[in-house]
Amino acid sequence: MTRVPELAERHLPDPGWPVAKPFWDGCRAGELRIPRCERCARWVWYPAPACPGCGGERHAWTATSGRARLFTWVTVHRAFLPGYRVPYVTALVELVEDPRVRLATYLRDVPASGLRAGMSVEVVFESVTEHLTLPAFRCVR
Amino acid sequence: MELARRIAVVGVGETRYERRSSRDLAALRREAACAALADAGLEAAAVDGLIVPGAGYGELHELARDLGIRGQFHAASCFHSGTAVVAAPLEAALAIEAGLAHTVLCCQGVAWGSERRGNVGQPHAEMRMKAAFEIPFGWYPQVVHFAGMARRHMELYGTTEAQLGAVAVACRRHAALHDNAILREEPLDLEGYLASPYLAEPFRAPDCCLVNDGAGAFVMTSLERARDGRARPVVVLGAGSGVIPDGEYSSLREDYLATGAVHSAPRAFGMAGLSPADVDFVALYDNFTGLVIQQLEDMGFCRRGEGGPFVEGGRIELGGALPVNPSGGQLAQAFVFSTNHVVEAVCQLRGEAGQRQIASAEVGVVTGYTGAQHATLVLGSG
Repeated sequence: MTRVPELAERHLPDPGWPVAKPFWDGCRAGELRIPRCERCARWVWYPAPACPGCGGERHAWTATSGRARLFTWVTVHRAFLPGYRVPYVTALVELVEDPRVRLATYLRDVPASGLRAGMSVEVVFESVTEHLTLPAFRCVR
Repeated sequence: MELARRIAVVGVGETRYERRSSRDLAALRREAACAALADAGLEAAAVDGLIVPGAGYGELHELARDLGIRGQFHAASCFHSGTAVVAAPLEAALAIEAGLAHTVLCCQGVAWGSERRGNVGQPHAEMRMKAAFEIPFGWYPQVVHFAGMARRHMELYGTTEAQLGAVAVACRRHAALHDNAILREEPLDLEGYLASPYLAEPFRAPDCCLVNDGAGAFVMTSLERARDGRARPVVVLGAGSGVIPDGEYSSLREDYLATGAVHSAPRAFGMAGLSPADVDFVALYDNFTGLVIQQLEDMGFCRRGEGGPFVEGGRIELGGALPVNPSGGQLAQAFVFSTNHVVEAVCQLRGEAGQRQIASAEVGVVTGYTGAQHATLVLGSG
């Protein structure tokens, strides 16, 4: 687990918000957990009261492999909010378990040869505060 | 209820568009509304329908009072911002045909230049899933969302930065011919576009709409009443709305690049009994250059993935095969949630667009967009 102190001055999520608390708890434990419908096993993302597939209302936060594919990305050169150190690469990645689960994330270890949609990436947990760990993704060679 | 060719736009009005105005939003809206009524040759007393997208309860009644509307009026607007403006003729046609109103005024304004100091992302920051799962990762504000779509389009279809630039250059050239365009004296060619620095790569400043102050308005009434008016009526040939079922979170859309135009355009063209081949010009919601390319594809002006080549070589400039955003649009004239696009389409179809006039323009299409929502409007010279 890497510690990225500059993240602390950015807009940070509230890890105690009940709807998302299991996600942040998972990150602190080194697991990327996503809610999964107990009736039809579909991944439910973002967290929602009902499964978009079957309407099931019971969802279990379930560990994923943390492996994903790069869907799209943006290299941000201007800070649009205080505390964002530019340039940074923000991206959408699709989990290998289900490409419908797309996560917004920071991209790390960007290869000098550049990025391509479909590239393999894997989660890397970055501790921001004692209570908050963010999942970034790094390019897999 | 048959709504095609039942109502017309009989008056349009705009304030001066400025980076920052000395006046507040209420004053800007009132000025645009008065200008539209004067253009129509109507008194405020004739208005019995109001569509003021984005206005709260207090603002709506303040505008009505300031205009001098003393009678009963019908108020409608279920869509948001740009979609609401372009869907207004659909709602007006419903109200007029149902006998709820005879003369409907739509007014939209913005004072982000002076009020928000550029922080236009605030509504997104207040959405709780974005606050939890997107903003902490720098996936914010709108320029990042739409740059992500442009990048995906480039990856899938080989779209180039120069093709994005062709949209920016076309709008800037059109704005140079408009005396009420904020960037009329700031020319841009492709070389200059490519030399400008990235904001959110692949987007540069010229890929992004203006942040400004100003307002626009238009008046609609039945075709029968329109024929007695001061101005030449511009007929609402067709109108349609569409929504993306995945909602506001663009990051999660199943078809990431599709706008609601995939639904609104077939509805509007179907109502009009026309196809994209019949269209003389389009005024497309242009918050960013990439969205213009996405809409051209979604609406059937070209196939998915062909939008990049479609906009190249001056084809979307005045004099080209399909002029796009002849007023300079929101990239170069002013950002008013497509209200300026409606005003420009009416001017073009009346033959009153001066240096920008498209020869024998008979059919124009306007679009409005709001994340999950989209509206397409087909207007005709009657």
